[in-house]
Amino acid sequence: MKVLVVTSGVPFIRGGAEILADNLCQALSAAGHAAELISIPFKHYPPSRIPDHILACRLLDLTETCGVRIDRVIGLKFPAYLIPHPNKVIWLLHQHRTAYELWNQPIAEDLIHYPDGPAVREAIRQADRELIPEAKAVYAQCQNVANRLRRYSGIDAEPLYSPPAHVGLFYNRTAGDYFFFPSRVTGVKRQSLVIEALARCRERTLVRFAGEPDSPRELAACVEAIRQLKVEDRVEWLGLVSEERKRDLYANCLGVIFPPVDEDYGYVTLEAMLSSKPVITCSDSGGPLEFVVDGQTGLVADSTPESLARAMDALWAGRRGAAAMGEAGWARYADLKISWEHVVETLL
Amino acid sequence: MKINWFSPLPPARSGIAQNFAIQLLPTLARHHEIVLWTDQDQTAPEVQSMARVVHYAPADPPWREINNGTISIYHLGNQADLHGGIWQMSLRQPGIVVLHDLRMHDFFFMFWVHYRKDRDSYLAALERWYGGEGRRAGEAFCRGGISPESMAQEFPLTREATRGALGVVTHSNPALAGLKETPECPVTVLEHPFAAAEESRYRQWLAARSAAPRPPYRLVVFGYLSRNRRLEVVLEALAGIPARQQFRLDVCGQLWDEGHIRAQIERLGLGSLVKLLGFLPESLVEQKLSTADLAINLRYPSMGEASGSQLQFWNYGLPTLVTRTGWYASLPEDAVAFVRPDNEIEDIQSHLRVFLADPGAFRAMGERGRQSLENNDPEKYVDAMTQFAAMALRRSPLVPALALAGRIGNDLSAWLHPAASAYLLDRASQEIVTIWPGKTGGQDE
Repeated sequence: MKVLVVTSGVPFIRGGAEILADNLCQALSAAGHAAELISIPFKHYPPSRIPDHILACRLLDLTETCGVRIDRVIGLKFPAYLIPHPNKVIWLLHQHRTAYELWNQPIAEDLIHYPDGPAVREAIRQADRELIPEAKAVYAQCQNVANRLRRYSGIDAEPLYSPPAHVGLFYNRTAGDYFFFPSRVTGVKRQSLVIEALARCRERTLVRFAGEPDSPRELAACVEAIRQLKVEDRVEWLGLVSEERKRDLYANCLGVIFPPVDEDYGYVTLEAMLSSKPVITCSDSGGPLEFVVDGQTGLVADSTPESLARAMDALWAGRRGAAAMGEAGWARYADLKISWEHVVETLL
Repeated sequence: MKINWFSPLPPARSGIAQNFAIQLLPTLARHHEIVLWTDQDQTAPEVQSMARVVHYAPADPPWREINNGTISIYHLGNQADLHGGIWQMSLRQPGIVVLHDLRMHDFFFMFWVHYRKDRDSYLAALERWYGGEGRRAGEAFCRGGISPESMAQEFPLTREATRGALGVVTHSNPALAGLKETPECPVTVLEHPFAAAEESRYRQWLAARSAAPRPPYRLVVFGYLSRNRRLEVVLEALAGIPARQQFRLDVCGQLWDEGHIRAQIERLGLGSLVKLLGFLPESLVEQKLSTADLAINLRYPSMGEASGSQLQFWNYGLPTLVTRTGWYASLPEDAVAFVRPDNEIEDIQSHLRVFLADPGAFRAMGERGRQSLENNDPEKYVDAMTQFAAMALRRSPLVPALALAGRIGNDLSAWLHPAASAYLLDRASQEIVTIWPGKTGGQDE
């Protein structure tokens, strides 16, 4: 089959969604299909640009190429998933979140600060309501995203989990004396919450952060918080690390901290499980809660510095229990039977 | 709903602030969460007890807090000092515009030319809606060659006031029907809200009025007394009847030109019969209206407004003389006495003679007016406003969709030959309609 995977992306920003799109194309190719990725550049501000992008997507014709039919289009991200095609399926990574659950979430909101924000929000919502049902089938990358689609748009979707990249290469080593927090440095990932928690830990915990900041401003805010809370000697900023180095950091850590705000899915959780490491997450973190069972495969804290600090102290002081949770996480991942073969078979 | 309410508020000297807002807000606040947005320097404590009052600067409003509301409701009238900021907000964020005046030319002239010293923007507004003819008329008006009344009639700028609105509310069906232009969005007509006083209190007023020695009979002119309130005509009429000594006229309210009126009173020899009392504090309003015998509530030309003052007169069971024009022309024939615009002095004098002959007939007229206030129950108003707001909100996605259509048209015209742009325009417009089909489902659509 000729398959086009369509997504959208912000130039020079790379995260889980971009990795997933690449991996999907590779999986389609591995299954013997001709697959190609089309990424629509997306600029989400000012709000009036967003309807422009929606219309731009709607005006694209992906029905055939050089007289040859394109058999299937797989839509991933807003607004690319609105590109019309008679054999389109949507595998929803997420909708435009600031028009939905992040509308008035202080660390992520943007539309709400513009005079035309409410009208554009409604325009986005209406476009989703009207056009997502055009697809022959709608899947969501996890239950959390499916739940939001039902709540806000009244559309049902089946969760379809995918494995992280290089799934067979993760491994486990003896736990070292640090927690690992790999993510883009940005408000919704809540690095700042972890820094505040560090200052409240009773144990001499250490956190290694890996990942690039979305903007210099985001990084500067974290650095300033570290300075003010005087936890410089308990934080390491590693920046962007290679995949090999990342797996090494997973393998040698005591546990993984991943407390984002209502994360869609969160490969970090799965990578930690593949590395047999317990995950500390928060009760409002969304996707990770589909995998982290409190007290069994990790710890679920409230999203306060105090609660998060208690969870960090508990793992730090109970290393044997931490290791057992990590093993339980690995076993749970195996039980879920998450594979690209299943994803490809479902989407085609 | 969480409603952003943009309106003049007491102590601002405006009927919308002193009458409309005070009448409606207690009921509205019982049904919805209300935020009262104001750019006034001060607001009365009584308002602050009704709902949360938040100050904003029109040039830099706190959008985050405003956008946390469900809908914004903007109250517009012709007082540019009170409504300028509100109009600016209504342009920047579409909401429901409540037109307290349908003819808004005076507002735009005062807003742009008087306060902003920006004649070009005033003329541009006229040109936007009336082409070259509007611009030329505006230029002539600025030179003093056309009267304000004529400009308001011919170039009301109603659509400028409602530009981009999701919906428009007026309080005057006949005035809306008589307007040459109508807004481009759904419009609904609601009865001006008024919370009538308790029946027992009303009976006390009637008893006090009956007990007072008569003559002289007390006439009252009341409210915000601009030129179209016809005070000069009222004075002429009073001076012209032989039995004028049987009347006393109290003029209560802010005059557009007090010196001119004082000079006229002196010229007509009415100094002993007419008192200019100025703007009355609320405590004196009851005393004045409960002891009056006849109210004179003329408008000509009408700006299309409903009259909160008229409802207040009826609340006291006061018979009233009104002009047979605009909203007033729709009032029940047996609840007011009409004055024809082209026979004002003759009609006023005739009514005053009939009044002297049969005061009881006029008192009955006032009582019927009082009974008609049932139609103005604020609960009914809030219910109808809520339904209309819900319908208008469903139009919200159309605002960015129409802006997008406009941008496409402008962009294509800049680089594509008209013959070649037809296909693209057709494709784009079809898609825009597919994405945002404009389902509102409202009965007023």
